[in-house]
Amino acid sequence: MRETLRYVASRLATTFLIVLGAMILLFALSALVPGDPATALLGPAATPEYVQRFIQEMGLDQPWYRRLFSFMGNVFVGNLGTDVLSGQPVTRIIANVLPYTFILTFSSIGLAVAFGVPLGCYAATHRGSLLDHLLAFVSVAFIAIPSFVIAIFLLLIFAIWLDWLPVMGAGEAGNWFDQAQRLILPTIALSVGWIGFIARLVRSSMLETMGENFIRLSRAYGLSNRLITYKYALKNACIPTLAVLGMGVGRLLGGAVLVEIVFSRPGLGRLMFDAISTRNFPVLQGTVLVVVLIFVLTNLLVDLSYAAIDPRIRRQGSR
Amino acid sequence: MNPDLPMITIRNLKLDARTEHGPAHILRGIDLEFGRGRIVGVVGESGSGKSTLVSCLLRLLPSNIERLEGEILFDGIDLLKLSPSDMNDWRGRKIAMVFQDPMTALNPLFTINTHLRDVLKRRFPQISAREARERSLAMLTKVGISDASVRLDAYPHQLSGGMRQRIVIAMALLVEPDLLLADEPTTALDATVEAQIVDLFDQLRQDFSGSIVFISHHLGLVAELCDDLCVMYGGTIVETGPVAEVLARPRHPYTRALLDCEIEDDHGGRLATIPGEVPSATWAMDACIFASRCAHVADICRRGPTVLETVAIGHKAACKRSREVLP
Ligand SMILES: Nc1ncnc2c1ncn2[C@@H]1O[C@H](COP(=O)(O)OP(=O)(O)O)[C@@H](O)[C@H]1O
Ligand SMILES: [Mg+2]
Repeated sequence: MRETLRYVASRLATTFLIVLGAMILLFALSALVPGDPATALLGPAATPEYVQRFIQEMGLDQPWYRRLFSFMGNVFVGNLGTDVLSGQPVTRIIANVLPYTFILTFSSIGLAVAFGVPLGCYAATHRGSLLDHLLAFVSVAFIAIPSFVIAIFLLLIFAIWLDWLPVMGAGEAGNWFDQAQRLILPTIALSVGWIGFIARLVRSSMLETMGENFIRLSRAYGLSNRLITYKYALKNACIPTLAVLGMGVGRLLGGAVLVEIVFSRPGLGRLMFDAISTRNFPVLQGTVLVVVLIFVLTNLLVDLSYAAIDPRIRRQGSR
Repeated sequence: MNPDLPMITIRNLKLDARTEHGPAHILRGIDLEFGRGRIVGVVGESGSGKSTLVSCLLRLLPSNIERLEGEILFDGIDLLKLSPSDMNDWRGRKIAMVFQDPMTALNPLFTINTHLRDVLKRRFPQISAREARERSLAMLTKVGISDASVRLDAYPHQLSGGMRQRIVIAMALLVEPDLLLADEPTTALDATVEAQIVDLFDQLRQDFSGSIVFISHHLGLVAELCDDLCVMYGGTIVETGPVAEVLARPRHPYTRALLDCEIEDDHGGRLATIPGEVPSATWAMDACIFASRCAHVADICRRGPTVLETVAIGHKAACKRSREVLP
């Protein structure tokens, strides 16, 4: 128990440091943006008086360390600044779209795990079977195709050509059925590559585990194949799979950005895209920070689940 | 079941594996029988096919097997003829196994309790989790693990090699098998722990009614523990009989050479070896398998393979010149 607590504490501390580092980096970038940020933001048409007022309001005339301090202080109380265009707090703008991105990423990860893990287990236990070969071939294809390309194809086939599913946007607020329908294609677009990826990963780690002595021991005691595969071997195979999943969350978020744009769904991706095209720096900064936060927290989660799975990690305190 | 019949009868067991260099004859016709309640020691240099023999008894074989012939009768039933699911039914019920390396024999992600509980549940499907725990605790204490309730909830990495081997032995005993296979259970352990584990096997004889096949490459250890001895060389059995008899009057030059090594070993301190080339599994069986290393080799030895012949009551050796050179 003490070991576990120490492990969690040390991981929390590193996570905090990473977030701090990301904030400083982000701040430095904003300071390094060439040109005068006020003109860059407001555009050449703004009057000099307006630019002056803006600089004061945003605190751009303060020395850099003051700005860094107030930036970090604000972030810690959840204040990511104000959107220059709409005058709304950036935090609220992000909070409004965050659920959409969350639902999309989690349903994609969920779908990928729900299909990838059993497929990988099956392929490992039925090596050389038709499904095993098919998986090897199809997964390579799907891993290679970027998710936004799949998104476009899905859109063309199922929404336009067959007209089976409504797309574009997240659906009517409060209408669960409509929202769920509109979630189907983006989720599939994001997860097909991952299904193949996870299946292959589970397959290879499973095969490796199946050769271990302790699995032989379970066989020597006549334990059922199901118990050996899904209890003993799968847990071992989860460890490398989790590691890759943790790293993959970044890629998944990146994919979500493009898929959101293809399906014109609200979300972090769209927000970021719009912020870039309108050079809306506070919104962009806030969104990037939130993405970093999501990424770091997922990795924390992955590390903690490692420790939950593998007792040896708990003892070491760190990997 | 006829009590006069031996519990295990192995007849002409042959096993070939597919390799890059053609078929490897890993077992070249094994004949062996033993009764209930015996401890059978199997010795032989590494590579002589000892592990493969126990794998055959469990029918847990590598995937590159090309040929498997002969009979393994267990209480009159041929294990090699059982369907895979029937065979699986024998594992962990009538047959249990202790592996060589205790460090890798237990799954690092599960507690000792989970290991023992699942094996018990498979052997006694009606057993409750509580009862399984109680039996496990009692068995851990019996195999000499102190603080059994703490150890039961520990993970393998928290225990020493000797303790892990005791746990695997406890697992084997919990299923109350008729046949316990122990494949070099002490080789991976250091000398003190080795002695403790051998003592443990010795104590266990008292309550254990089944038979034990105890593999070792250490003759002294087998002499201490076993009733019968079986000497393997190059995938064959070259000599078998009651331990005391075989060690006192070895009738095969290879057994003799092994004994000499052992004595040298105790004196010189370094591992003595028999000079000559270790037989390869790809060799054809057209001569005595030991001919290339035998000090007493003659023309007759190169004319066709040797077979096990009775040299005394219950004592067999596979040497054509046995009477001449080892009277
Ligand atoms: N699956 C296999 N394929 C090819 N050769 C094998 C295989 N398994 C064992 N062997 C060979 O068979 C011989 C006997 O091996 P083994 O039974 O492990 O001997 P021991 O336990 O006496 O050391 C060795 O020469 C080994 O290399
Ligand atoms: Mg061996």
